[in-house]
Amino acid sequence: MSRSKPQTRPAKPEPELRTLASLAPGTSGRVVRITRDLTGRAERLAALGISAGAAIRVLQTFPGIVFECDQTELAVERAVARAIMVQVADNSSAWEVT
Amino acid sequence: MVFGRLTGRYATVSNYPGTTVTITKGRAMVGAEMCDVIDTPGVNALEGVLSEDERITREMLVDGGAEMVVQIADARNLRRALLLTSQLADFKRPMILVLNMLDEARARGVDIDSEALAECLGIPVIEAVATEGRGMSELRAALPVAAIPRAARDAGIDHLHWADGTAARFRTIGTVTLGRFQEWLGRAVRQPLTGLPILALVLYVTYLFVGVLGAQTLVGALENVVFGGYINPAATALTAHIPIAVARDFLTGQYGLITMGLTYSIAIVLPVVTTFFLVFGFFEDSGYIPRLAIFADRLFRSMGLNGKAVLPMVLGLGCDTMATMTTRILGTPKERLIAITLIALGVPCSAQLATIMGILGGISVWALLTLFAVVLMQMVIVGFLAARALPGDRSDFILELPPIRMPRLRNLLTKTGLRVKWYLGEAVPLFLIGTALLFLMDRLGALAWLTSAARPIVTGALGLPSDAAQVFVMGFLRRDYGAAGLFTMAHDGSLTGLQAVVALTVMTLFVPCVANLLMIIKERGLRVGVAILTFVTIVAISTGTVLNTILRVLHVTF
Repeated sequence: MSRSKPQTRPAKPEPELRTLASLAPGTSGRVVRITRDLTGRAERLAALGISAGAAIRVLQTFPGIVFECDQTELAVERAVARAIMVQVADNSSAWEVT
Repeated sequence: MVFGRLTGRYATVSNYPGTTVTITKGRAMVGAEMCDVIDTPGVNALEGVLSEDERITREMLVDGGAEMVVQIADARNLRRALLLTSQLADFKRPMILVLNMLDEARARGVDIDSEALAECLGIPVIEAVATEGRGMSELRAALPVAAIPRAARDAGIDHLHWADGTAARFRTIGTVTLGRFQEWLGRAVRQPLTGLPILALVLYVTYLFVGVLGAQTLVGALENVVFGGYINPAATALTAHIPIAVARDFLTGQYGLITMGLTYSIAIVLPVVTTFFLVFGFFEDSGYIPRLAIFADRLFRSMGLNGKAVLPMVLGLGCDTMATMTTRILGTPKERLIAITLIALGVPCSAQLATIMGILGGISVWALLTLFAVVLMQMVIVGFLAARALPGDRSDFILELPPIRMPRLRNLLTKTGLRVKWYLGEAVPLFLIGTALLFLMDRLGALAWLTSAARPIVTGALGLPSDAAQVFVMGFLRRDYGAAGLFTMAHDGSLTGLQAVVALTVMTLFVPCVANLLMIIKERGLRVGVAILTFVTIVAISTGTVLNTILRVLHVTF
């Protein structure tokens, strides 16, 4: 996956999958899938509303990752954010919110 | 909160997940019938991997004999609410859905067509703002018409897709009208550049309120003026008429119920406990505490926990016994064991914080900082080692942040009042029992024997006056009671600054109180309880010894 790529906007018009951990604050998009590498992680996230189709917006990336989903703020550690695959929205811009 | 409004019974509520980790029962009128109402721990899911509090709720549904379910949902997040509704529907119980915190949802531009939603689900859907009591009479009226909801199973799809689709149908998201200041504050407290200075400010304000106003001004007034000037002389004068010397001493002697037991619990501890509960309740209700988890996550992960453990730890500053129970929100047995041990070891409860601030605040800020630094360091070291020595894993750090809001004065006062009442009912009797025990031991000569037996440790290793031994006996009962004993020793000048710091550090590292020990045994079994007690006592005494040696070598006097 593209987890270590620098945070540039995709040049191509077609959407690109990124991990939540690699997104800059202000980026928004939709969850495409949760990588199933740990038992129960996907279920835990789903119970909080984080599942395929959920619209999210990154609010903060340090010291922890904080993002918004359905008017609720959630904080996760990096390892969890790496399992959340996001399709970045076209009109999303990293400088909208600081 | 809704539970409290419905039954008139108050269950402590705060603005963060994990407040209710146990089952509370109450009664309410449904139509003309009196019914039992059971408040279960809040849940996000009832299927898949569950934490302990979620398991408790699930068991309630499976074989708890629940006839009806009232789901209290956060209106901001309809999708999630419906996911749970759908899972609840599988239990085939009549249901009502309450969309709570509707004001918060509206401020965020969320609008729900609850009438159409009710029609679709086939159950009553109530709009509510429980903190203001809005929607409660509607809920009461709807109780007799609760029904089994139509959900995913009826539609023949899985819970997730059903919840997604249904939420999208009945919810519209418009413009956000959240107050600009509220929005800024919510952001400022979680970002390092602004968040850390805010944390420092929070701690400083707490210190001013609890350490200066509570521990110095109010304690001074109560101890010297009310008790020293009126109650104790009056009690001594009264008991002077009692012809039996033993009875006289039992009430007003050196270990007298009034002169020691009541003076300690009411004059020294009560003012600080009250001021602390006020400040603590304020921050609890504001939604600030969970945001600390973001900063703590990294450190806690090295201790085999995750940021979520900040909740029971900070709650421990109120009462370690309650905090021990709150560890149920943590994901794995290993996390619970580490958190319970660290709470017992290092987190001073409000009553003890009281005496610490009372004694050290009067010596110097450096004395106070030394104590906290040593205790924190011990917690980090023990956590770090436990993370590596114990089998098992930690769980993922995934935490929902509640909205930042201005606490309501009425809720704050109710909560503080209840906690103070709890203190008076729970701690004060123990203070009195402890005093009676000391009196008895003194008469039987056991105290003298214990003091001399403990001398190698107390005077030798810790460098304290031998009288301090009896303070540690009290400390085994409740460490704040022991600390209150140190308070009077410090006041009449029998402790130097260095000795006060060493004695208090050891006392802080002790197991908090008998109640906490019993709770640990209840939650984790007798074997673990005894192991934690032994371990914590050893760590406490050895840390005190090392600290004493270092401070003496460096000629620190405070």
